[in-house]
Amino acid sequence: MKKIIALLLALVMVLGLVACAASEPAAEEPAATTEEPAATEEPAATEEPAEDGSEAEEPAAEAKTIKVGLICIGDENDQGYTYNFIRGKEAATDALAAKGINVEWIVKYNIGEDSGCEDANIELAEEGCEIIFNNSYGHEPFMLKVAPDYPDVQFVGCTNQNSWGDDLANTHNAFANIYEGRFIAGVAAGMKLQEMIDNGEITADQAVIGYVGAYSFAEVISGFTSYFLGARSVCPSVTMKVQFVGSWSDATEEGNAASALCDMGCVLISQHSDNTTPATTAQSKGAFHTGYNNDMTGVAPEASIIGTRIDWSVYFEHAIETVANGGELEQDWCHGMDEGAVVMTALNEAIAAPGTAEKLAEVEEQIRTGALNVFDTSTFTVEGAEVTNSFALDTDGDFVPDSEEAVFDGAYHESYFQSAPYFALTIDGIEWINSAF
Amino acid sequence: MHNEMKTPLMRLAKRDGMEAWKMWCIRLGSILLALILGGLVICIVGVNPVTAYGTIISGSLGKSTAIRQTIKIAVPLLGCALAIAPCFKMRFWNIGAEGQITAGAIAATYFALFWAGKMPSWMLLLIMGLAGALAGGVWALIPAFFKAKWNTNETLFTLMMNYIVIGVVRWLQGGPWEGRPGSQIIPQFDASACLPKVLGVHCGWIIVLVLVIFIHVYMRYTKHGYEIAVIGDSINTARYAGMNVGRIMMRTMFLSGAISGLVGFIVVSGANNTLYDGVANGVGFTSITVAWLSQLNAFAMIAISMMLAILSKGAETLQTRLAVPASISDIITGILLFCMLGCEFFINYRVIFRGSKHDKEATKA
Repeated sequence: MKKIIALLLALVMVLGLVACAASEPAAEEPAATTEEPAATEEPAATEEPAEDGSEAEEPAAEAKTIKVGLICIGDENDQGYTYNFIRGKEAATDALAAKGINVEWIVKYNIGEDSGCEDANIELAEEGCEIIFNNSYGHEPFMLKVAPDYPDVQFVGCTNQNSWGDDLANTHNAFANIYEGRFIAGVAAGMKLQEMIDNGEITADQAVIGYVGAYSFAEVISGFTSYFLGARSVCPSVTMKVQFVGSWSDATEEGNAASALCDMGCVLISQHSDNTTPATTAQSKGAFHTGYNNDMTGVAPEASIIGTRIDWSVYFEHAIETVANGGELEQDWCHGMDEGAVVMTALNEAIAAPGTAEKLAEVEEQIRTGALNVFDTSTFTVEGAEVTNSFALDTDGDFVPDSEEAVFDGAYHESYFQSAPYFALTIDGIEWINSAF
Repeated sequence: MHNEMKTPLMRLAKRDGMEAWKMWCIRLGSILLALILGGLVICIVGVNPVTAYGTIISGSLGKSTAIRQTIKIAVPLLGCALAIAPCFKMRFWNIGAEGQITAGAIAATYFALFWAGKMPSWMLLLIMGLAGALAGGVWALIPAFFKAKWNTNETLFTLMMNYIVIGVVRWLQGGPWEGRPGSQIIPQFDASACLPKVLGVHCGWIIVLVLVIFIHVYMRYTKHGYEIAVIGDSINTARYAGMNVGRIMMRTMFLSGAISGLVGFIVVSGANNTLYDGVANGVGFTSITVAWLSQLNAFAMIAISMMLAILSKGAETLQTRLAVPASISDIITGILLFCMLGCEFFINYRVIFRGSKHDKEATKA
């Protein structure tokens, strides 16, 4: 027995020695690497005042380094929501490098909407990040707990809405006018339906769109309403059925919902959920499809016509550049086609109706210049009547909007008073199959 | 000769009475082995293991903010391990702590959402704590009742109860307690429903430390504790001694569930300030390991839960500083637990090889 113990101990010691010996010379390295950023930062810091004093003509030579934190609810493997942020991050890094700003990203993946998010924010702030992005709606309450302790760090809650109401100067919100992209995707869908009607494949009243939504949440309602209005602008007889799945990401349920919608007679499927199953289901059921967050023509080449997504690099670039240059970052940021923050994925020319590309370009131009307002109140009715007033913001915390009139100048102004969508009207022509979520 | 042919190459024999220093040598050796194996994994990811371990330690204990976060992670682990200890001592396999935490969290949240502002903060917190303990206790009592009455399988029963209560939270999140319609998020609690901070960490850490002493005394020095130990050793002995086994099981499970429920209250009121379906966050399962590793010793649980918290927090820093995936820490934790639990096997049993000295002794005897 003693022998075995002795043997075991000896083995452990030998292994320990080997491990130590192997890492001994390398042990110097960490010290070196930790010093490195400091070393690169220092010259940058000393360069700045020098630049102010003498020559200000070499902006290319100044190499600023900024640490930026990004907290993600998932990781890039979702091929949807978080993947879209990572793409934005990479594009922004390149764009900023060209402007002489080196971004040192620290990305935290798979951070839930709980106190773990608070810890992640603290950790990134402690590591010296000057700006921290939280990519999910539910991250914000935890971000707001950390923000007061780090007044010099800018905290951004993407897709959320509390920064205009809290008293903190260092909290911000950002979103993009994704409804513009959805309107355009709707136009592509409407043209396809009109083509089918004109060819006699379906009758005018069979032009029914099925929409797979995550929750009956303003962001989703705003999205499918704009989509529907886009489709109806080119196909007047279209109607829409909406099925909610009760999850932002549930591949099976999303597929089931799409399948049920097809069985109810929908000939075209769109979605506001994270997976590609609605696209593949539509294809297997012989229906058409338009996507979100990602180009889905790859998985459903015979069904998916076009998609739309937010290009987060536009905001990342703007926000990081502002902070790196010591500027003031706005509390709320929301842009769309005008700044390129909302982009369309490539049109699937093989199945799109003829002339779609030209039409889309025309509509996109109109939206960009402001000539066309997606929520033009003359284009829709609620319970048979035109909408004349609707509040945008909730100020007393009961989640019922009670201030800021959103309807003026003949249109409902979405994402005007805050970046997060607040359009939550149920317009005529859209049927909710369920509203449990 | 004949005999020798039948003997397997390796066999096990129960070992009794190993000297304490030997046991600690084995335990220490197993931790070392785990660190070396973990180091190999880190090497594979392309990071120097020494740097990595250093980062884990400095990331979890290097700064006061880091220490606070580490303690925040350790608190529910410790509390829940304490809750499970009496059940496991009784050999009642309660793996429903996850659900009992959640049940307690729901009850506490009810008062936080609807009674805040109607009474002083201390009273609200007291009621939340009591409600959490009661709800957790009742949730644990149900499987215990069925076990006592009809001898149902408590492992499956307690496990299934978890999914039910988590389903209830999902319903509350999207239904009656939802904040902004469609958000699936229950609003943050009023400040009066949040546990105050002591030394920068919510005061749940004081509650669990008090619980450590309570459980230690309860298990060692009370009649209840003695009864639990007897049932754990042999139910028939307990019956023979005139103990009402069913009643003791139900009582112990209620206590266990109540402590888990209290942990649920601490988590919602102290850490999250809201309720969501992942509120228990696997603590109910991880704490089983904490309880086992500490051999149901209440004081040892403090060390073990801190160790797991250090690994967990350190792994986050590892990801932040060295871009090592945080899941690596799960692997290291897994290796560590495997080695530590495995070494207990070698403390209790010895391996006898065919033809070894011990083998000859054994066959002679």
